[in-house]
Amino acid sequence: MTEGSNYDYLFKVVLIGDSGVGKSYVLAILLSRFTRNEFNLESKSTIGVEFATRSIDVDGKTVKAQIWDTAGQERYRAITSAYYRGAVGALLVYDIAKHATYVNVTRWLKELRDHADANIVIMLVGNKSDLKHLRAVPTDEAKGFSSENGLSFIETSALDASNVESAFQTILTDIYRIVSSKSLEQATNQVEMPTAGATIDPSGSGNNAAQGSKCC
Amino acid sequence: MSARPPPARPHIAIHPSTYGSRTEWADEDAWDSASDSDEEPPKASSSRVQPRQVPRTKQNTSPDGIAGASTSTLAFSFTQISKPSSYPPNNGWTIVKTKTGSSPPPPDNSPDEPNGDADVEGDMILGDLDPDAMEPMDIMPPAHSKSRTDKGIIRDDINDIVDDPLRGVKHRARRTEHSPRPSPPTSPENAERSEKLMRERSIRTNRRHKFVECLSSQDVNIAELRKLAWAGIPSDIRPMAWQLLLGYLPLPKPLRVATLTRKRGEYLSLVQLAFARDREGQDQQIWHQIEIDVPRTRPGVRLWMHGATQRALERILYVWAIRHPASGYVQGINDLVTPFFQVFLSAYIDSDPETFDPGTLPARALEAVEADSFWCLSRLLDGIQDNYIFAQPGIQRSVRRMAELVARIDAPLSAHLDTQNVEFMQFAFRWMNCLLMREISVRNTIRMWDTYLAEGPDAFSQFHLYVCSAFLVKWSDKLRQMDFQGIIMFLQSLPTQDWGDHEIEMLLSEAFVLNSIWHNAQSHFIGKK
Repeated sequence: MTEGSNYDYLFKVVLIGDSGVGKSYVLAILLSRFTRNEFNLESKSTIGVEFATRSIDVDGKTVKAQIWDTAGQERYRAITSAYYRGAVGALLVYDIAKHATYVNVTRWLKELRDHADANIVIMLVGNKSDLKHLRAVPTDEAKGFSSENGLSFIETSALDASNVESAFQTILTDIYRIVSSKSLEQATNQVEMPTAGATIDPSGSGNNAAQGSKCC
Repeated sequence: MSARPPPARPHIAIHPSTYGSRTEWADEDAWDSASDSDEEPPKASSSRVQPRQVPRTKQNTSPDGIAGASTSTLAFSFTQISKPSSYPPNNGWTIVKTKTGSSPPPPDNSPDEPNGDADVEGDMILGDLDPDAMEPMDIMPPAHSKSRTDKGIIRDDINDIVDDPLRGVKHRARRTEHSPRPSPPTSPENAERSEKLMRERSIRTNRRHKFVECLSSQDVNIAELRKLAWAGIPSDIRPMAWQLLLGYLPLPKPLRVATLTRKRGEYLSLVQLAFARDREGQDQQIWHQIEIDVPRTRPGVRLWMHGATQRALERILYVWAIRHPASGYVQGINDLVTPFFQVFLSAYIDSDPETFDPGTLPARALEAVEADSFWCLSRLLDGIQDNYIFAQPGIQRSVRRMAELVARIDAPLSAHLDTQNVEFMQFAFRWMNCLLMREISVRNTIRMWDTYLAEGPDAFSQFHLYVCSAFLVKWSDKLRQMDFQGIIMFLQSLPTQDWGDHEIEMLLSEAFVLNSIWHNAQSHFIGKK
């Protein structure tokens, strides 16, 4: 029924950031929803959250990501923050041509601190890198900010699809590394993490093929 | 429209409170502004119209001032003579004497009234004009001329309809009645089919007669109109019927011209006020969000890609938002404007609104569409404002109630969703926030709103809950075969693309039954409140 019920790991990743920065476009690229000429079409705004999955290989393991694309508008925070629960990764997107969306990154980080697991892996994503002539956020500044705050950083363009795939690969690989090392070191910690077991794998109630697999 | 009549809603007095006076809509307590409820005609109540934080004094919007300036009081009005395809070239504008005057048109309930245009198919021109009164004064430029590329689509009696929506209804009623008859039967099956067609046509014609009769009376009987509207409103009657059902257009005929003129004038001054002040703080945020969302409203549909439509949408949303600071503009409200705008636009043109460029309308008509959409949107939102204030308690409550209801009416589905860890909030949030507009087409939505508006002011929160429950249960068999991911993905893009009136009417009927059974049985629900 659903694509790839065979996987070794299942990670929940949230897509967050201000309204209009292109979160849904990033997701659409990841899911290969676009053909090139469709891109110019505006898509409707995201209401609440939208769900998608995508699997990749890391170190010969199949890692499946449940991606929750959230609405950016402030008014939805109360609802969308509920979806941070159980997330092990966050792609925090801003628009390199709109400085305000970068300024708000701090607020989004606070959101994550308040509602997500402390160990969540966060990647800062400067989207719309194709808009070079309109750039309002210097790459170095964002890079500096990221390293100060322990985030990984990448600039993407959903328009020419550059780096989107690589952003996704990077964050899932990071999560995978942490999880696979942690599963040895911090077995106790996992019990508290709502990301463990059936919570993150809602279909894991015994009916899928991922029986012997670890869920972060 | 399906020939199968849906339940005749008003015959069952489950909650008769829905059938009260037309002030019901106004009784809905707005969260932060009661200013939209000033529709009762004689008072312009300029103090209530004034947005609270606006420090400036409002411009004069007294009814007299506006009525005095209005073209509706002129015996002459500018009418565009359009060029039907079959006609010799006759373009340009002509001043013609029309029957529009300061007094309402003479009452006539008969759609068959001989009106000098027996050739009903020629309705594109001179429909309501007295040919003798036409004066060839085409030297005069049109009052509000714009690009005339849509000539022939824009109705020639547009000015009459702006002033009096009934003009549009009657005009078309006559035309439809004389629409081509089915061709003579050539075979037995054909004969049978054509007989069926005739029967359906006659049912439709009959319904239309009832609508026209109802709307033509001096004081529209709202209970009667609701009863008729529940089962769907013919598209050309809809603009006027919606405005009456929402309490925007006064039921008594003599008040309508003045009220429409006043409300449209009020809206214009609200726009001026809103855009005259500097956008700071929250206003700036609101504007920013609207700017982002307007191009994302019905993307790909020509009507909504035109600049004229987008500017109008921006103004509607912004004026509403700054007048309702507790909610402001919330994504999804943009969707809710679209049925109103399209329906009201359809009154003035003879083509599909979705392919029309409203920039080609005379300014007066476009302003009317915009203002009417604004006020009707305000009416609708008055009933569901707690969907959009902080933490969206209205939606949270509706989603919770829906989950409880589904547990009662489809326990296996409810249990399955539970074992799969599917939370109602994950899919039903959007159903409430956008009133299912992301799940069904605008066409479907418009049909659905006929019934919602007939149900009364609570329908967009109460009745909608039952519609959503029926909607979910409709997919029960499929959903129960799916796992978490399958369920969420399925509910995110439901296969309703082919839905027509029939499917919507089934859904409404099911919701009606649920509503009848459960609405007065609150104690059955697990959760309180």
